[in-house]
Amino acid sequence: MSQADPSGLGRARAVGFVLPGLVLIGVFLVFPALWTIYLGLTDYRLTGLAAADPQVVGVDNYTTALGDERFRNSLWLTLQYVLGSAVIGQAVLGFAIAWVLRNRPGPVKRITEGLVLLAWILPSSVVAFLWIALLDRDDGTLNTLLHTPGFAWLLDYPMLSIIVFNVWRGTAFSMMLYGAALENVPPSHLETARLAGASTLQQLRDVVFPRIKGHVLTNLLLISLWTFNDFTSFQLTAGGPEGRSEILPVYIYNVALSGGQLGFGAAISFLVLLINLVFAFVYLRLLRDRRKVVVP
Amino acid sequence: MISLSGLTKEFPGGVRAVDSLDLEIGDGEFFALLGPSGCGKTTLLRSIAGLETPTSGKIRISGNDVTALPPGRRNVAMVFQDYALFPHMDVTSNIAYPLRIKKVSRSRREARAAETASRLSLSELLARRPGQLSGGQQQRVALARAIASHPQVFLFDEPLSNLDARLRLEARTFLKRLQRELAVTTVFVTHDQGEALALADRIAVMNAGRIMQVGTPSEVFHRPIGTFVAGFIGSTPMNLLPASAEGGRLHVAGAVLPLPGDIADGPLVYGLRPEYADLSQSAPTGRRDVFSGKVAVVENLGAAHLVTLDSGDLLIQVVVPEGDEPAVGAPAWAVPRTGRALLYRDDRLLTVA
Amino acid sequence: MTRGEPEESAETRRPKRDEGRHRRVEPPAGRAGGTAMTRHVLGTIGRATFLAVVLGFFSLPLLWLASAPFDAHPSITTSLPEFTFGNFRSLLDNPYVVSSLRNSLLQAAGSAVLVVVLAALAAYALSRVRVPGRDALLYVLLLLSSVVTGTAAMVPLFELATRLNLIDTHLGVVLTLSGGLLPAAIFILKDFMDGTPTSYEESARVFGASPLQILRHIVIPLVRPGLATIAVWAVANVWGSFLQPFILLRDPDKAPGAVILYTLYTEGGAPRLDLISTFSLLYSLPVVVMYVFVSRRYGFRFHGGIKR
Repeated sequence: MSQADPSGLGRARAVGFVLPGLVLIGVFLVFPALWTIYLGLTDYRLTGLAAADPQVVGVDNYTTALGDERFRNSLWLTLQYVLGSAVIGQAVLGFAIAWVLRNRPGPVKRITEGLVLLAWILPSSVVAFLWIALLDRDDGTLNTLLHTPGFAWLLDYPMLSIIVFNVWRGTAFSMMLYGAALENVPPSHLETARLAGASTLQQLRDVVFPRIKGHVLTNLLLISLWTFNDFTSFQLTAGGPEGRSEILPVYIYNVALSGGQLGFGAAISFLVLLINLVFAFVYLRLLRDRRKVVVP
Repeated sequence: MISLSGLTKEFPGGVRAVDSLDLEIGDGEFFALLGPSGCGKTTLLRSIAGLETPTSGKIRISGNDVTALPPGRRNVAMVFQDYALFPHMDVTSNIAYPLRIKKVSRSRREARAAETASRLSLSELLARRPGQLSGGQQQRVALARAIASHPQVFLFDEPLSNLDARLRLEARTFLKRLQRELAVTTVFVTHDQGEALALADRIAVMNAGRIMQVGTPSEVFHRPIGTFVAGFIGSTPMNLLPASAEGGRLHVAGAVLPLPGDIADGPLVYGLRPEYADLSQSAPTGRRDVFSGKVAVVENLGAAHLVTLDSGDLLIQVVVPEGDEPAVGAPAWAVPRTGRALLYRDDRLLTVA
Repeated sequence: MTRGEPEESAETRRPKRDEGRHRRVEPPAGRAGGTAMTRHVLGTIGRATFLAVVLGFFSLPLLWLASAPFDAHPSITTSLPEFTFGNFRSLLDNPYVVSSLRNSLLQAAGSAVLVVVLAALAAYALSRVRVPGRDALLYVLLLLSSVVTGTAAMVPLFELATRLNLIDTHLGVVLTLSGGLLPAAIFILKDFMDGTPTSYEESARVFGASPLQILRHIVIPLVRPGLATIAVWAVANVWGSFLQPFILLRDPDKAPGAVILYTLYTEGGAPRLDLISTFSLLYSLPVVVMYVFVSRRYGFRFHGGIKR
């Protein structure tokens, strides 16, 4: 019987525990966020007249953005990026690695996990250089290996390049999370399913997934958000060529900081926030609805 | 001495786990809270510990009102069902933990821990972590930790349920001897009536947040005051048969029995433990005070057998000594011993028949 | 993966050489036995192939980091180096390199301590005391954190830091980065706390331990792997952060390694690959060493639940 407040914390002390964190978050996260929302309603610019005296222009920025071909293209690329690299790439690959390594002790597991994790803990700036070296047109490692000298991966397949890059970069988190989650699946359940003749896919669907649904939700939510707002790809392609890999964070950077249209950039940030909110809702709904399904 | 008055615990959503309950537990008594799961016994124990705040009512320990005191100031020690041994501390540190909280110096508390451990034959295990101990050893470490805090009251939540069957009997004997030696008031929760009968000086049988009966093991076994207690106590469940009193006779399951005392005509419940009937494989001639039926099931209990008779639309169970068990399907007769049957009306014990 | 072969086809198909050999070793297996064996062998092959591909994929980009720093004339290609330590010497001649490592250390350690302490306290309270709407609150903060650490909020963050006199201070970088990391840290740690049985805390409480004692003696040791994981995660994040320190620090003496890495260009604007690769290696080592140390000592995992 698990009860609320087992250590006798009490409301007052609990508030005291939460408050320092909330204050920091409030000042350095919520406040800038609100500010951004406000900026989104102005014509604030980095330089010029509007920098000194920004005017409130209402929803102009939003109507401009929604009508802008470049924004819609960027949004579409971002969806591809999130779906391809986070949901399909990181989550599926991470789960597959965790599943294959699940009962495997010894060096194979340690080495595989170590390498995957290395890709994740290396500093972002270093990682960007690694991939530039790997994909370089003239004498990148990949072209040397494939005997395709002069093949410009970053120019010809910019989206694919950054998607594969992000899979490489972020799979570790999903692998770790699912690895821990799989430990919570009682072996007897899997054995029961196997005795009943279930194939691997059926075991995953009927036994494993229902047990780790919470983890799947947490995982998808976090990696989607992180990927949606990931800026590292800027260091690979800078959104180019011709905006063909200009996902939203890069677009915002190009518009707001390079282009100086701060108000417009802020408006798009707010749109990104709204889209993320939709993502979160969809996940929550999908996974909560599953719970209601009654096995016939 | 623990005294509870008008104790009620209502959980959010309106579930009354404990329902205006009064109870007195004497000094040094070994007291059992017995009942099926969900009857509120654990909530009651946790309320005494201070882990639950009662909705209303009072809890006194040695005359002091502790209702509003936090658990740490009640001078009680609790052994949890999962023992709650801290996995990151060795046995010594676990046993010495209550003393650490009381700011006893490290050397003194380690000495006390070693002393308590040797009393429970744990001396060899002092440097181990809980994960390296067997279930029985873990239980003794948990007991040692409780003892080391020198409480006024011990509270045990299902102390034996995490042990396997053979170990459980051993641990039961050990626990009873330990409690006698320490002579500290002890309240324990169990769903196992055998455990309660074997260990406790007195038992409170609980159901749905209320106490159905408080008494010594012999009282609750021989004179259960309601059919719930009658059905709950006993290793083989009591036969509870619908009966009726008509003109000074008792009609039950086809048999006609003498009706003791001045019982008004009307419906009754006739209770008879399977141990208190004899089985006859030939029809007792000229007697109407026997139950007749066909042997439906015979279950081996080791030194005895439990025979289930099919008597029309009723089932009657009888324990027979080994060697006397009938064949399945054979006709047989159950003869109740006099003075052993219980008569209930409106779920209250009227008399012994 | 190659699995789930239909039973009939697997049985009627002529066994491959491998399977044949296995079959001869086995006692005469029935239909089902043979199929199971085929499945098993295919499964093993599939798993091995999969792991080989994974290993290749994840190690390939790392090769450059292992070779270029020791190459006298590094190019972008991974090749057997013309072995030298000269690159390290010329790197250390750069006045900002050593100080940037110290700055990174200060900022990363500061943020990690702040994030772990504040997140642990908050996660514990949120896990153990029922507050209406706490999950919604956490989700909203998570959403905000991932968006606000992005590029658009840099202007408000810069303005805020200016007004709080935090420009050109390590504290400014630490507070800004911590604010961004905290929501996810609380979210993950709360999961750890939720996975810890409450009877430990109750037991300590009955013995008279105060909430702070319970936190110190019981809860923190129990969730130590989670705290260690969050610490590593925070350090790794701060260590690689470019944008925030780039905007908040004017003085190159205070810039962390991630920023200095982008200054290693020739006057003509071409990257100095010898220095970049060497510094990349040098800059990666501390996080890798820290990760190895922490995961050996405490384990590294993102989900709670403790083994007893």
